[in-house]
This record gives sequence, structure tokens and C-alpha cells, in this order.
Amino acid sequence: MLKHDVIIVGAGLAGLRACVELRKRGIDAVIVSKVYPTRSHSGAAQGGVNAAFDENDSWESHFFDTVKGSDYIGDQDAIEILTSEAPGNILELQKMGVVFNRNDKGGISQRPFGGQSFPRSCYYADAVGHMMLHGLFDNVLKYNTKILYEYFVTSLVVDNGKIGGVVAYDIKEGRFHGIAAKSVLFATGGYGQVYSSNTNALINTGDGMSVAIRADVPLMDMEFVQFHPTTLKSTGILVTEGARGEGAYLLNSLGVRFMSKYAPKAMELAPRDVVARAEQTEINEGRGIDGAILLDVRHLGKEKIMEKLPQIMQLSIDFEGVNPIYEPIPIRPGVHYSMGGIKTDNNGRTAVEGFYSAGESACVSVHGANRLGGNSLLDTIVFGRRAGIDMAEYIKNVDFGKFDESAVRRDEEIFENIKKSNGKERHGLLKAELQEDMRKNVGVFREESLMKKAIEKIEELKERAKNIGVDDKTHLFNTDIVEAFEFKNILLIAEIIARGAIMRQESRGAHYRNDFPERDDDKWLKHTVAKLNASGGIDFDFSPVKITKFKPQPRTY
Amino acid sequence: MEFTVKSYRFNPEIDEKPYYKEYVINDFPGMTVLNALMKVKAEFDGTLSFRRSCRSAICGSCAMKINGITKLACKTQVSAEIEKFGIIKVDPLGNMPIIRDLIVDQEVFFDKIKEIKPYLLGKTDHINDDFKALKEGEKIKQPVYYKTEFQNLTGNNDTPNCILCECCYSECGGVVANSKYLGPAALAKLYRYSEDPRDNDKNGSRLVNGSKPAGMFDCVHCQACEEFCPKGISPVKVIVRMHEKAIKNSITFSKGAKHIIGIARSIQETGRLDEIKVAVDSVGISGILNDLPVALGAGLKGKMPPLRLKLIKDMEDIRVAFKDLNLEEKHD
Repeated sequence: MLKHDVIIVGAGLAGLRACVELRKRGIDAVIVSKVYPTRSHSGAAQGGVNAAFDENDSWESHFFDTVKGSDYIGDQDAIEILTSEAPGNILELQKMGVVFNRNDKGGISQRPFGGQSFPRSCYYADAVGHMMLHGLFDNVLKYNTKILYEYFVTSLVVDNGKIGGVVAYDIKEGRFHGIAAKSVLFATGGYGQVYSSNTNALINTGDGMSVAIRADVPLMDMEFVQFHPTTLKSTGILVTEGARGEGAYLLNSLGVRFMSKYAPKAMELAPRDVVARAEQTEINEGRGIDGAILLDVRHLGKEKIMEKLPQIMQLSIDFEGVNPIYEPIPIRPGVHYSMGGIKTDNNGRTAVEGFYSAGESACVSVHGANRLGGNSLLDTIVFGRRAGIDMAEYIKNVDFGKFDESAVRRDEEIFENIKKSNGKERHGLLKAELQEDMRKNVGVFREESLMKKAIEKIEELKERAKNIGVDDKTHLFNTDIVEAFEFKNILLIAEIIARGAIMRQESRGAHYRNDFPERDDDKWLKHTVAKLNASGGIDFDFSPVKITKFKPQPRTY
Repeated sequence: MEFTVKSYRFNPEIDEKPYYKEYVINDFPGMTVLNALMKVKAEFDGTLSFRRSCRSAICGSCAMKINGITKLACKTQVSAEIEKFGIIKVDPLGNMPIIRDLIVDQEVFFDKIKEIKPYLLGKTDHINDDFKALKEGEKIKQPVYYKTEFQNLTGNNDTPNCILCECCYSECGGVVANSKYLGPAALAKLYRYSEDPRDNDKNGSRLVNGSKPAGMFDCVHCQACEEFCPKGISPVKVIVRMHEKAIKNSITFSKGAKHIIGIARSIQETGRLDEIKVAVDSVGISGILNDLPVALGAGLKGKMPPLRLKLIKDMEDIRVAFKDLNLEEKHD
């Protein structure tokens, strides 16, 4: 059995950032990732990372914007940390080698982003996630970090409320390993693949969240799913909010900038939940074009597009057949981000001692019911760093927890049983059915009758999933079996989302109910906390929202 | 439209040797090669194995040979390939060991990335750094770096945009000639850090290490890296820039640097390429003796370079040209 002081699962921004803190303190931390680190989805982040630098801006203003953006269900103590530590964290990254575009005064160039009252999104053209991911990966190499490439974590090992380690499947060799550790961090990202039209990588299957809740670690606020307003019509590929930050218009089929109706002041730079709903309303009311609306950047001019938005120009050409210099881009809302996740405190600690989470897989909560653009990269580095520092302290005074090796055999059996099964269900097709159902029934506009249909579908798929068979019976790099397991993960996440969304009878942030169109602070100004019960069903509990400075107000833009 | 995907297949666990398998599927508008492979895997044959992640040309997972040419599968339209080739034939990347089907072993590639020290040199790792959480009303002061200081790192096709997809490496002639050669991606990364104003490389160690055998002077200038980069980066261009930089900084111990200097000297002195003298300049007499069998073989086939060269007629022009070059160097 392998043994390390710390295991970091997931090698996107949060995991790598935590890793740097641990490794520079000389701690034996190992990275376990189902893909090579630079394949992580953090790299697809385009537009920016927020921090108040300008002399006319303030972190307090960023603090308020984020609380308002969260529709007042973000925890204000956490948001205060996020925003007051933002500038320091960006400068840390810069010291580590990350490059940002520069302004004329020699500072970091910043652009406007949705829901922000000041241009405070730092960027590297429209590929800032890529820049940060590679910069941090390079630093992890610098510290000679051991990386278990292409290892897929299937279980947490917990004994008596204390972490013992993880069970991981070496994809290349087709072998299970127990890895013992004093402390484990899940920085495993989101679950965009629960939905059919999403901006996410194919690897974003909510693995960490599923593995955590199976180990009795609660998930929080899972009904809040962010729909990004601008994803390419045919593929769902992301078109950065930075495009609107640079001045792009949203047009309906009549050529009208329809945002004037929905957010007369902020217009295209209203928060994502507001813009996504506005677009969907235009489409639903017949002012869309073939299920899409248009993002127009032509007036920015060729030079600015080439300089500030080169990636989205190329993506539009390659994936939509449209050159944005000459034509507006057909776009529609698509699933983008999970506000919910593994419930943590402000240092990434969870309900299990020694077990941490950070980044999209975690819910601190800084994003509440709706994340503002440019705050997710910030979340990864602020709370990744804090988790790393806290773990470094934590492991000083503890011993390894108990590691029951039968956990390894149990997962081995699950895989072997799927391989042995003669079941006729194909996980790839079940996944497509689930994704399409979630898109239709637990989407931008929700109502009980639709969501109940989704639950019926999920129950049906749970039954059919018992008959999943795989074609690939071998050990060597068997991606068939990995995908079968990933399907079980997204199926579980889908159920938690749908049941949570039915329960929350109000509209708040990204969670909009046609049958309960108002925010209801009396009943629902609280977090939902999901756990699995003994029979595999989902139980919900609630926890209070921390309100320190800003009392809930009506939210208009 | 119905079309055929023909995939390289090899699973050493059960197959004696590699083979091709064909799948006939239907397309949809805008279908990419990655979409096609995923459709095959989901609906027909779960054993077909390949890597994939972002499906938007930023993660670098799905590089493979498509109809013989290294590309990202997610970025390649089925319709365009069918129009040209009538089929989608897929093979694993070149220059790397095959693990299974379209999956190659990337370990050596990433070892080479690590070898060039892909991070800022100098002390950047203090634990009790000046990190600051701001108090009420407090602001932070940024260090000043002007645009010009990052001018080689912030263009659309500059080296930091590399996604480590291995397309260049798969097609690299230098790696074919010498499997130890660092390759274009690692050298582009070396350039990226050597151009960073924050890099504290006091002794020019980056260019010294990069000049060692299997380093930047092993580039064979085949231009494949530039041709096959899905991000429009030209590693060969920056490799040549590093050659110049090394020579200007008197880092000339490598055969490659000596070779370049020898050629320049030969032309400066005679207006011609004195191959024998260039060979002596680059590898020395002992090197020549090592290569003697090759030289004799060439001689027997009538490919011996002349032993003595005449000066060309317009030597004065050559001298003027070199004078101009020197002037340019001083301006640099």
C-alpha cells in the first residue's frame, strides 16, 4: 500500500495551488489525477480573475458585488476572505511566473465583468485559466512533486470520522491501490456532464462530490447550477464573458439589444443568471434564431478582437463556422458551473477530520445562488492556498488514520462485477438520456411538474444502470470501465440536484422556479445540506447563512 | 452522411499485433473527429480507447494522426476530412511508445518538459512571504512591469499559449533523428522562461543547459513543429532565436554553435562553404576521424567536397555584408 502525508486529488487550479503551499514547506504531498494535470478543466477558463487593484476600486466593493451576485445566500465571512485576499493572491501567482496582460501604467490590465461594479478582472488575453494552470503546474514540477498520473479515485477511506486515505484505480495498469494519508484534499472540479448542453470538459463528472457523499461527507446547495449565457449554439463551447466585458452586444432575431428590458443599467454585463434567463425568455417567446440568440462583437473591430479575444475568434471559426469579425456568433445558455459542492469551512475543512476540499468541488460558500464571472478562478487560488496551509499545520500533530484495506477489495469487486456482467445497457447511451432529461426538466426555468419527471427518469436509469455491461474486459487502459463508474457518479449528482431543486420552493440566483417566482428570505435564506441515508436515498438538512455586513435587499441590475 | 472511421487498434494484453478496425457511422452537422470516436465508443465498441477532455482545443488530450497528419481530434471537422480523403483514418501520435489503441506513453515528453526547468529561477519560494489579506480601507501596491517587458510572451501565437498537446513532438524530425532530443515543446517552454523579465538566470544557465547534446542545436529545422501546431506557435522560430542568443552570449561549446560559427567564418573568409573546414570547426579533428568512414563513403560516390576553395570574385561585397551584420549586432 502507498503512503503519503497528504494526498491531493485533482490537479486543476485548486489542487495545484494547495500543492505548491505544501511542497514549498517540504511536505510529502502526492497528486492523484485521472488526467495529466494540464488536461484539467481549469485550463478552459477564458475571461479573467477578479481582484480590486485600481485606486478607485476597493475590495469592499468586490465584497458587496459578490454578496449581491450570490443573491444573499453566500456566506459573508467567506466572501470577505475571498475578496480581501484576492489582490495578494494574484500577486503571489505573478511571483510564481503567471503572466497577465499589462496596462499602460505597468500594472495588471483589468476588464469589466458581469455583476461587478468596477473593471477588476485580470486577464491573459482570453486564456487566463490556461496561463494560470500551466504556471502552477510548472511550479509543482519545480518542487519535484510525485504525481500519480491517470489514477481515478473511487472511494474515501474514513474511520470513526477521521480520514485514512483513498482507494484509487491506476487506469493504465488496471489495478486498484490503497493510498494512506494523514490528510486528503479533493479538488476534483464540477459536474457539468450531468447536462447535455454544457461548457465543461468530458472529464467533469462530479467524481469527488459523489465519492465524498458516499463516505458520509455532506454536500451543500447542490440545486444551484450556473447556466453560462454565451456558449456556442452547436457545441456548447464557452464564449467568454470577457467578450461582453470588452463591449459585445446581445441581439435577438429583431436585432434588438434585449437586455435593456431585463437589466436596464447593467445591460449585457448583468450577472449570468439574469442574462441566461433573459436569453431563454427571448428564445421561448419566439425572438430567437433557431434556438439561439446572437453575440455581436463586430463593432469592436478586427484589431481589438484579435488582441483581446483571439481564442474565442478561433473557437467560433473552428466550431461554429462563424468569423466573429464579420458575423455575430449564435449562442445560447449552457450549464457551466456548480455553485454547490462538498460543504467546507473557510480553510477547506469538511465534516470528516483531515479531509478537505477546495475549488469547484467545494462549497464554502462564496458563490451562493449565483457565481459572478471571474470569481471561480479566484476561489480556486484563495481557498486552494488556504487549504494547503491548513493541511500543512494539521498533519504536524496527527498520526495516520486507520485504513481498512477491505475498501480496496470492495471497489475492485465493483469493477470486476461490471466487467463480468452480461448486462445489455450501454453507459454511454444512458448518460445521453440522463443529460438530455436534465437539460429539459431541471434547466434555466424550473417547475415542480417538470422536475418530478426528471426524478422519474433518474429512478428508471438507476434500475437500468444495474444492467450495465462493458465491452472492454481487459486491464490495460480500460476507459470503458472508468466511464461506467463516472456514469454512476453523474447519476447520483443529478438526483441530488433535482431533489434539492424540487425542495427549494423559491427563486434565488440561478435557481428559478416558474411556480415560485419570488425570493423567499423568510423560509429559504438558508443552505441545503444533502446526505445519503442507509437505503441510498438522499436526506436534506439546512444550515444558516452567515450574514455579517450586508442585509438582504431586492436584487436588481 | 454515412462514413467510415478506420482506427488503429492494439491492446497488447490480448492482441498479438496491431490491426485496423472500421466502423461505419452517420455524421451530424459540425461533427468533429472526436465526436465520431465518441459515438463509436458509446454506441458500438466500448473497447476503442483514446484520451479526451475539454473538446475545445485547449487541454491538448486528443492529439492523434488523422489521415496521416497529427491534429487535435476535437478541432478537426469530419466533413473536411471526408471531402479530402473519403475516410477518417486515425492512428496514435508518432515518436512516442504506444500503450494501447490511440493512447501513447507521455512520460518521456513530460520528463523533457521538466528537464528544462520550467519555472522562474532565483528565490521565489519563501514561505513567510509578503502575502497580505487586506484590512478595511487598505489597498495593495503592484510591482510595475511594462507591456514591452512581456512583449514576447503576450502575443496570440507566443509560446505561453502552448497546450502541451504533443502534435509538434509527434511530427518532429529532430526526435526521429535522436530520441533523446528535447523536442519543440520543451524548447519553446525554455524560451518562454528565458524571455521572462522576472527570471533570475544570472549565469545564462538556461542557454548553457539548452546547448548541451540533445538540446536546441539538435533541431533539424524541418519546420514540422510550426506546421502542425494547433495553436499557431512556431517553436522552430524561437529555437533559432535561442541559437542566436547563445552565440551572441559566447555560449559556443556545442557542436551546433560551432557549426554555425564555422559556416559564418567560411563565408566571411572565402565567400564559399568550406565543408571540410566547417567540419573541423564544429567537431574537431577527432570528430572528423570518427566520421571518416562516412566521409570516405561519400568520397567514393563522388560526393567529396573540394579540398581547396578559391575566393569568389565579389569578396568585397561579402566583407561589406559582414560589416553590416556586425553593425546590426551592436544595435541589438
